[in-house]
Amino acid sequence: MLKGKVALVTGSSRGIGRAIALKLAEQGADVIINYFRHGQAAEQTAKDVENLGVAAKVIKANVGDPEKLDEMFDTINSSFGRLDIFINNAASGVPHFALDLDTKGWNWTMDINAKAFLLGTQRAAKLMEGRGGKIVTVSSLGSHLVLPGYVAIGVSKAALEALTRYLAIELAPKDICVNTVAASLVTTEAGMLYARIAKEQLGESPSWQTTPAGRLVAPEDVANVVAFLCSEEAFMIRGQIITIDGGTTLVPFGFMSKGG
Amino acid sequence: MSAVEETVKDTIVKIVHCDREILTPKATFQDMKADSLDMVQALVALEDEFSIEIPDEDAQKFKTFGDFVTYIEKRVAEKKGNA
Repeated sequence: MLKGKVALVTGSSRGIGRAIALKLAEQGADVIINYFRHGQAAEQTAKDVENLGVAAKVIKANVGDPEKLDEMFDTINSSFGRLDIFINNAASGVPHFALDLDTKGWNWTMDINAKAFLLGTQRAAKLMEGRGGKIVTVSSLGSHLVLPGYVAIGVSKAALEALTRYLAIELAPKDICVNTVAASLVTTEAGMLYARIAKEQLGESPSWQTTPAGRLVAPEDVANVVAFLCSEEAFMIRGQIITIDGGTTLVPFGFMSKGG
Repeated sequence: MSAVEETVKDTIVKIVHCDREILTPKATFQDMKADSLDMVQALVALEDEFSIEIPDEDAQKFKTFGDFVTYIEKRVAEKKGNA
């Protein structure tokens, strides 16, 4: 379905990004695997992508650093000369409450989570010029719900979601679809680390130990929706925030009654 | 003082903006007034500097400047041994 397409997945050495890279590869796309800290894991993702019969390329870059982000796109341009799919997945953040948040933590989080999406899309759109493309970014429920110690990340995700809407309209004439997926707690190392930090350091345990669907969201659940948004079947979906939460946000106060 | 220690010192001073003099082997991250973000940035800079990868589970054990230096010296020696 995505045969011959070139996809960039930022932050794809592990977790949700890795699952997305593998899903896109499974559908035939060549995948560029970006990472910042976990080189060995990125190489493993690349091997797993190649085992699916497509090409993989690993690029190290802190996407929060505009210079490094530019270098990454320069490499993509010289290696592939085009891009069909841009998945803005890389994320980071400091687990503080608002009154404890300093400018360094704020800037770090906003640079990686929000600014990289804007600057990355500016470069990606050029590589999609004349051929169209799909852009999907990964948000979380913290963009509009209050999670313990999540203020910096939550605000950065809210920026992502607003950007998605503006970019969807601005890039529509270029035949580029822009959408967001927003998941509840996902069973990744980062997701479990956040749950642990929230419990141990912040004294608050996220209430979402499961979902009405009977389990937490897995990285593959997110990857499946991303792959759909990258398909032609999703052509008329523009600027939307697709929630992947097993129904969690539909049930206030933790009620999970069966049959109402 | 080893060349590795000098480089680790340069990197930490640059990122954490602490006084070079406080970087004794027993200096803790609290002594350096370094937060977790400083540590991530220092780790990445040192990984680039020495062309090594420091797994999170190893980094989480670092408590002092000396821990940093000892670990990196060991990894650099291993790398030389494998070369």
